[in-house]
Amino acid sequence: MRQYRKWGWGLGIASVTAVIAFGVASWQVNAAPTPGASPGAEQPRVSDPDPGPEPTAGTGNDALTSAEVEKAREIAVTPELKEKAKDASGAAGPEFLSADIVDTDGGRRAEVYLYDYATNNLIKQVVDLGGSKLTDSYSAAGLHLPASAHEVDTALDLLLADPLASEFKDAYAKATGSQFAGKDGLKTTAHVFKAQAADPAVAQCGEHRCLRLIVEAKGRYLDLGHLIIDLSGRTVARLS
Amino acid sequence: MTYRKTAGAAAALLTVASLGLAGTPAAAKAPVAVAQCAASSTVKETLPNGTTWQLCWRVQDRAGLVLDDVFVSSKRYPTPVQVLDSIRLGQLNVPYDSGETEYNDLTEYGFGGSNLETLGGEDCKGGSAREGSDGGPEARRRKVLCVSAEPSGLAYRLKDYNYETGADKLYSKQGHDLVLRTISKVGWYEYVSEYRLADDGQISVRLGATGDLSPGDYVKADRGWPIGKGARDYASMHYHSAIWRVDTNIDGKGGEKVEQYDTKTDGRGSMAAKLKTSMTKIDKEGTFTKANRRWWRVVSEASKNKDSHKRSLELVTGADDRYEANPATTPDVTFTEARGCEKFATDNADPQCKTMKTILDYVKDKQTLKNPVMWVRVGFHHVPRDEDQSPMPLHWQGFDLLPRDFTDMNPLTPADRNGVNGQTDN
Ligand SMILES: [Cu+2]
Repeated sequence: MRQYRKWGWGLGIASVTAVIAFGVASWQVNAAPTPGASPGAEQPRVSDPDPGPEPTAGTGNDALTSAEVEKAREIAVTPELKEKAKDASGAAGPEFLSADIVDTDGGRRAEVYLYDYATNNLIKQVVDLGGSKLTDSYSAAGLHLPASAHEVDTALDLLLADPLASEFKDAYAKATGSQFAGKDGLKTTAHVFKAQAADPAVAQCGEHRCLRLIVEAKGRYLDLGHLIIDLSGRTVARLS
Repeated sequence: MTYRKTAGAAAALLTVASLGLAGTPAAAKAPVAVAQCAASSTVKETLPNGTTWQLCWRVQDRAGLVLDDVFVSSKRYPTPVQVLDSIRLGQLNVPYDSGETEYNDLTEYGFGGSNLETLGGEDCKGGSAREGSDGGPEARRRKVLCVSAEPSGLAYRLKDYNYETGADKLYSKQGHDLVLRTISKVGWYEYVSEYRLADDGQISVRLGATGDLSPGDYVKADRGWPIGKGARDYASMHYHSAIWRVDTNIDGKGGEKVEQYDTKTDGRGSMAAKLKTSMTKIDKEGTFTKANRRWWRVVSEASKNKDSHKRSLELVTGADDRYEANPATTPDVTFTEARGCEKFATDNADPQCKTMKTILDYVKDKQTLKNPVMWVRVGFHHVPRDEDQSPMPLHWQGFDLLPRDFTDMNPLTPADRNGVNGQTDN
């Protein structure tokens, strides 16, 4: 990257003849100083506009506003899904993963992604925000989006309730130098995990929804890469 | 990329022009489309040399920062011309040399939502921290985008001798970039998504990595580097293969064509080797590999500059480690026909097209390119070093989009150089 900038001087050589032939040039006055910049200031200014309050609805391909996300989510979770789908903790209704603007030239539409733990399907619901209706619905197994905060919490609880919690506690002690005394103060996120090679302990991950936790405690990260939490099967496995 | 290469590229252009491929003068200008977004998601800034960039920005849950509807204008060419429909990351694949770990950081973790950092400290010193949705499930509005104008060094320099006055005339100008960046925290790593929009029309795209090394991935000596005391703790070497998704929309007219240029030796002249440049049209989806002096451009069929040359964007790549152990991170550049559900270069997960999982699936049917999307992969094999602790100094990877014939001359050409365009008639 940036090579052209670096080597740009080379271009000047070719132009010299042309310049002499024309012989019309004058001292180029330096650009007027940037408004507000003191002499010798290195960085010119950019504007710093007031963002104002959040609009109810976005324009064009703007990100969904919080009101639009809420609305899209309400429409996406149909009565049928509310009744038959299950979330990560086994409660009725699908797990809400994310909502995104659909890049189109028409009106504003949202893609809402849900995960149904009853069927292990990723569901994409397309919502016409202007018309307040569900326009398309797709679902497939074996596909995953990043984990929701609720899924991460659920996975941590599963791990702490599992016999492998001892390995979590060892990792905690090794990273922080103190005994694990509860999950308060932990900062937890997760990667979705899909089995690559034939590791029998986690072979179902992919068809199942599995997470690999990243836990920060007292400014240190725990070494937990070998522990996989299968949210669909509600089990914890150790990579061999 | 050197002066030599630049000269070769100029030769290629002459070849094309002489073949009559440059086409007829541009048709009457269509009305300029304005960027379609709210004022709060618009960035419109004029750099000291008079170049204005205008675009819409947003954050997507998985991809992080997305730039839409990117337009450029300058003092010399004041009508804004669209460059890009959108640009964003399309994946960040991170396999460790131990073979025990591989992350798809965009699709298994996400650059937006709660993983997008609120700017603080000196993240945006001298710039403007812009507020917008983090793209997460609650669409929280936070100060997440840093917009700044930064010096880019010498933009041009030319000393001209005037025979009539016997005096030197010096043209010397400092350049500036409009810089947009967001920061995403992926566990212990922190990634900077950065776009540098230069006052000469160049777009530099890069990803920076900082934060800390993985606390867990320590390995044997042949797969790591000792970073603690003595020869005990070998931090695992690993890859960061970044893939960007670039959707051009030159002058708002779309329908660009893709061309590949190759320059090969062609016998000897009286002093040096002769080189010959040829162009290959890429009219179907496919994956492509870099070679010495090979480059690609996305060229408009409908939009021309004042010299009747078709406007185009050239892909300029630099430092790059190819991760050939994964077929999907092997191609250097992949061109696909734009399709809404083909969102990520690997680990794509859209139930609407559930078999379309990687760029290799996208190109399999070799569709004709009508609205090409360019996927650019740039890899960095990270060999940890003592200095990586702590925090790790930023390491960067990326590429440039170079305007090729967007304007008939340098957009920063001073008025006195107006006539210097093409060969001088004597
Ligand atoms: Cu690294």
